[in-house]
Amino acid sequence: MLPLIKALFWCACTLGIYLASRRLHRSQGRWWSSPLLVTWVGCGLLIVTAHASYREYLSGTHWLVWLLGPATVAFAIPMHRHRALIRRHWLLMCVGVTAGSILAVSSSWLLASAFHLSPELRASLLPRSVTTPLAMDASARLGGVPELTAVFTALTGLFGAAVGESLLHILPVRSPLARGALFGMGAHGAGVAKALEIGQEEGAVASLIMIFAGQVAVIAAVIVAGFLKRW
Amino acid sequence: METADWLHQPPPQRHRWHLPWIQTLALIAFWWLAQSLTMFLHWPIPGSLLGLVLLWALLDRGLVKLGWFEHGADGLLKHLMLFFVPAMLAAVDHPEFLSLLGLKLLVTVFVSTLVVMGGTACVVEIGFRLHRHVAAH
Repeated sequence: MLPLIKALFWCACTLGIYLASRRLHRSQGRWWSSPLLVTWVGCGLLIVTAHASYREYLSGTHWLVWLLGPATVAFAIPMHRHRALIRRHWLLMCVGVTAGSILAVSSSWLLASAFHLSPELRASLLPRSVTTPLAMDASARLGGVPELTAVFTALTGLFGAAVGESLLHILPVRSPLARGALFGMGAHGAGVAKALEIGQEEGAVASLIMIFAGQVAVIAAVIVAGFLKRW
Repeated sequence: METADWLHQPPPQRHRWHLPWIQTLALIAFWWLAQSLTMFLHWPIPGSLLGLVLLWALLDRGLVKLGWFEHGADGLLKHLMLFFVPAMLAAVDHPEFLSLLGLKLLVTVFVSTLVVMGGTACVVEIGFRLHRHVAAH
């Protein structure tokens, strides 16, 4: 009986903090009031102060992680809504996603190697520029820890969305396509929300770039994992 | 900074089967079918990716109407971040990150993100200008 009560407690805490943080974010609208950050830090502090284990916490909330699968399938709807944009700019989007993915993987790898991080951490860092559900999948295939990838991916999104606008002031990029690509490739979900504040087209481009980059990452991870297995 | 903002407002509901939670259940069923298909065929790709491509193709061909799934999809994507918060909390099992290692990881994430954002935007901008230049001549 006790495990069930504990599971329900953690589930209620997570949902409660999440709903409260959404209200907070609506009134504040700043990067630090992001429901992602507030729920993460809030639940984290609660687990630590209650001396609970992560396993215990997950017993009540693993069903939420399970919903990442159907949510990934749901990306088909924004893709269908913006099909005219895909038809018009598919080549440039492919170029952007390819360049962005190569930059993301190589810069993560170089920095992680320079810092002498463990192979496990390196693999967890590689897919952090794509949307979380697909990044976690790619990470598991590359020998990383999906949970750590979720942390790195979220930090990427929070940081990218916070600095993206300043970057736009420095860089000589004028087209909505390039401005949207900056947010979609660099900061995935959080970046898309930020891009929409700048303009409708920027937001649509960012969401498409984000979804494409995620698909490319998973397919690349499948291929790389296949090669690694053969060796 | 919420994923919700980039989704258009759905049109008013007309029928019972347009209820968001029924559509969410339908999306879960669709995902489960795709997942089972990849397991049955021993395909190495994740079921969620197959489901995404399959649903997109069905929408594109007009075999599936946008209205059948859109409220459910908007609901799921609106709360996407809630679904990965439990995974992110694995960080509580890694107290070693509260050290130099954590700082190294943070620097890696931040610098790499700047490189990706700047690089991608510049490449797309150059491509865009080239395209315009070619189209003008």
